[in-house]
Amino acid sequence: MTKTDSPPPARLNDLVVLIAQSRDARAFELLFGHFAPRIKGYLIRLGTSGAVAEDLAQETMLAVWRKAALFDPARASASTWIFTVARNLRIDLLRHERRPDFDPNDPAFVPGQEPAADALMMRDDEDANLRIALAKLSPEQAEIVQMSFFADKPHSAIAAELGLPLGTVKSRLRLAMVRIRAALGTLP
Amino acid sequence: MTIRHHPGDEFLLAHASGAGSETVSLIVGTHLALCPPCRVKVASMEQMGGALLAGIAPAEMSASALSSAMAKLDDIAADKPAQSSDPLPPVIAPEPLRSYIHGDIDRVRWIPIGPGVSYRPLLKRRDARVQLIRTAPGAGVGTHTHRGEELTLVLTGGFTDVTGSYRRGDLQTTTPEIVHRPVTDADGYCVTLAMTDAPLKFMSPIVGVLGKLFGF
Ligand SMILES: [Zn+2]
Repeated sequence: MTKTDSPPPARLNDLVVLIAQSRDARAFELLFGHFAPRIKGYLIRLGTSGAVAEDLAQETMLAVWRKAALFDPARASASTWIFTVARNLRIDLLRHERRPDFDPNDPAFVPGQEPAADALMMRDDEDANLRIALAKLSPEQAEIVQMSFFADKPHSAIAAELGLPLGTVKSRLRLAMVRIRAALGTLP
Repeated sequence: MTIRHHPGDEFLLAHASGAGSETVSLIVGTHLALCPPCRVKVASMEQMGGALLAGIAPAEMSASALSSAMAKLDDIAADKPAQSSDPLPPVIAPEPLRSYIHGDIDRVRWIPIGPGVSYRPLLKRRDARVQLIRTAPGAGVGTHTHRGEELTLVLTGGFTDVTGSYRRGDLQTTTPEIVHRPVTDADGYCVTLAMTDAPLKFMSPIVGVLGKLFGF
């Protein structure tokens, strides 16, 4: 699915960092070429019309330009971070809702373990392991994971659509998450 | 503080994927502020989102999309990373909840609705409502069950019912199978952030409190 001329994942991270450091328009162009069509594809999968998906993909890439200094490659890959930017813009612009989320600088925030200094090196391996783990999910688990990201419905509605008890959907999801987290090394 | 009761994966994923409504994200996001292990889970889920985005079939952008985006770049001011500000006195309501209260718990104007029970509605979206509920030691909202799922996050104090004890950061999920009668622990007022996605069913007529709480 990935075109052979797409930059490798580490290069994608570097492109975001280049934008943060020097507002590098060439880096933006390369990122746009890679991500804008994928964001558009993601939004179309979510049921958004082609025209709206195109606008929102463009807005997402402009938000990437604006927020690049907030990207921390020790915490997330460029794909993961750009996914969250697209997700939040969709909630804001299409659903007209706020996106309540925690703030690590908040005085009531309970800190956990910070990512290790070598996390940067590991992120790309993790993403590769994650893709393998996603591909190895059972068809039932993969279906629930896909619908969780692309059906834009609560799990009760997913269960109803599949004609399954809610408990079955939850347990498939739980099993899928155990396998994913094992691949990522984030099981407790 | 050790949190023993966490949101199920389906709620964490609803928050991570963006499928969950603002009501779900308000309560899950507030739990995440207090719960490092659930933040690790959500980070893994967002990583799944990144992998799915990376692997999705691209949809071709129109020929002018890139040039029209490039034309706007110079006019966009870059966001700067947030600086940690001076430490504030200890707060009970973490972000994102504090923005919805416009301050800490002491800023809430409580509406009394029964003996030892008051509340403050915060958010209503479609069928779901989120409200703060404050109960005095030993007080409760009575025996009830649910037509949908209810999430209750403890902010201060605690309560106990047949399913266990809940303290700051603990999140209780109740389903239609659960009939419970939460009672506030003896050590002080309990403030919870509660979300219901469907009206509750009453087991006894003495509990008019809940009818007022959830709007009928
Ligand atoms: Zn938790």
